[in-house]
Amino acid sequence: MTIRADHVAGGALIAFGVLVFAISADLPFGTVSAPGAGMMPKLTAGLMMLFAAIIFITGKQSAPASSIDWSDRGHALLLVVITAIATVIYTTLGFIITMTLLVFSLLVVVERKKILPAATYAVGLTLFAYWLFGMALKAPLERGLLWF
Amino acid sequence: METILNSLALGFSVALRPDILWFAFIGCLVGTLVGMLPGIGPLAGISILLPLTFGLDATKAIVMLAGIYYGSQYGGSTTSILMRIPGEASSVMTCIDGHAMAKKGRAGAALCIAAVGSFVAGTFGIVMLTLIAPPLATFALRFGPPEYTALLVLGLIFLAYMSTTSLIRTLLMAAIGLLLGTIGIDVMTGHFRFSFGIAELGDGIGIVPVAVGLFGLGELLATPSRQVAADIMRPKLRELLPTREEWRQSTAPIARGSVLGFMIGIIPGSAHIIASFMSYAVERKVSKTPEEFGKGAVAGVAGPESANNSASTGAFVPMLALGIPTGPVTAVLIAALLIHGVPPGPTLVNDHPNVFWGFVASMYVGNLMLLLLNLPLVGLFVNLLRIPYAYLYPLIIMFCVIGVYEVNHSIVDVWIMLIMGVVGYCIKKFGFDPAPLVLGLVIAPIFEMSLRQSLIMSDGTWLIFLQRPIAAILLAICLLMLALAVMSYLSQRRDWRAKLAEAEAASEKN
Repeated sequence: MTIRADHVAGGALIAFGVLVFAISADLPFGTVSAPGAGMMPKLTAGLMMLFAAIIFITGKQSAPASSIDWSDRGHALLLVVITAIATVIYTTLGFIITMTLLVFSLLVVVERKKILPAATYAVGLTLFAYWLFGMALKAPLERGLLWF
Repeated sequence: METILNSLALGFSVALRPDILWFAFIGCLVGTLVGMLPGIGPLAGISILLPLTFGLDATKAIVMLAGIYYGSQYGGSTTSILMRIPGEASSVMTCIDGHAMAKKGRAGAALCIAAVGSFVAGTFGIVMLTLIAPPLATFALRFGPPEYTALLVLGLIFLAYMSTTSLIRTLLMAAIGLLLGTIGIDVMTGHFRFSFGIAELGDGIGIVPVAVGLFGLGELLATPSRQVAADIMRPKLRELLPTREEWRQSTAPIARGSVLGFMIGIIPGSAHIIASFMSYAVERKVSKTPEEFGKGAVAGVAGPESANNSASTGAFVPMLALGIPTGPVTAVLIAALLIHGVPPGPTLVNDHPNVFWGFVASMYVGNLMLLLLNLPLVGLFVNLLRIPYAYLYPLIIMFCVIGVYEVNHSIVDVWIMLIMGVVGYCIKKFGFDPAPLVLGLVIAPIFEMSLRQSLIMSDGTWLIFLQRPIAAILLAICLLMLALAVMSYLSQRRDWRAKLAEAEAASEKN
């Protein structure tokens, strides 16, 4: 039997629904005349599982799971990892250093650009954004350890 | 009528103030750029720039953000015509005949027809908005919790019916959105729900990190720079004027597109996308020379471009009059108004006339600005498209992080954006549309509150939704829509939605 895309999607969302029910077990459902905090999460999780089950059952009409094009996964993974690192260091290192490193890393690691032009672009772009957000629009940007 | 004219005069007294004009101009300019640049749509653009409006008053904020929305409909046509890349999803249909006209050396004429069509349709939409929104808001004052519950259900069913993916897939996404919307403190009982000890989740998941993640970052993850071509034509200013024959061919499609677009715009769903497709289908149907479509038919540019602009204005009717979002963009605009302490809905016209009428009047001015921006400056905008995508997307990622962080100064929001980016990337791979998820997230608090209030009011009987006439009528329409969808499924008929899905898929391949 060929595993179809909708089998994977439907199965994953049914499992997610089961997980939601498990972690919302302590939320009171209440009664119909006095609904509790757990009513809406359980109703929507139930609906989600119902729709996911329909998709799973009718999944044989969908494309094989193996036919999904994941050729961009390397690009996606690098972007996620670099942005995640920037998120981790943002409050510590502040706006200018973090954003310069973010743009520089994307250009050098993902796009294989030469180091000098990438560094120049990263610094220029970050300073422009700092001026735009921090000075022109007076948005309070994260300063970090180095106070800029 | 006299009341409306007086109110409109009040609106123009607000909209013509230099500071409001300036923010309308900024919105239109940014909207044009957002519409042109692939990889960033109006939703991501508005979400990213939302924090910039925190220092402004409500009128300036909504004028600027709405300018981005309707400005993006203008800008989207430029890349469609010159590069055959729809900068914005609603410009998919313009690619077909717009680019064909460009290949025949009529790029300037196509751009001019698209801009004039957009202007006429946008203005028509605003006139209709001016006339319809206030009486609709007055009518909506009769709505109680059961009516709001039924209206929100109708919105979701309409969205599912109009969607290019299947009804079940859309409802599944909306259910996930509703589920995400339950995260945080339950306002009726004080219970913490799914907060996992993270204090920031007590307030729930914000729409901005979810929208920016799904539509901004998710799009960038799926778009490696090698897939973005930059083969651009550059029209000369003197080539911009269409011939007399081209004007004649575009007049009726602009009129039909304006009316059709507005009618579709007030219905929940990705109205501007659907409107442009339906307008294209109508124009091909009524044309005496349908064989010209696909080879550079003027009506194939004029109709869809008018329809998507009129639809984007039509979407403001339920947003302003009922406080109900018809799609993710209006959902973010509602969030923006709420952040500024102005709740949209039936009381907006009376409680905040300056905001309501100032906003309406600014759209008249904004449409004029867009016409002036998009025609003489098209050459300048085209140059921006020459910036390599490899240098552009790091800028967009930086703006995504800043935009999301600045809303609440919360790093948790940035993590949510990142997670939603991955979710958006994956659900697209499996053929799901993320828009209903955002809509579900936005309406979740209103829906839960009105449903629970209705049940408390009725002492636990669901019949309350059938005993109240307005709610019963709205639910009857829901049943009708579901029956139509089931009939379409059983007969395996390829209706307009299937054709739209095919057109979008073909456009993505190109």
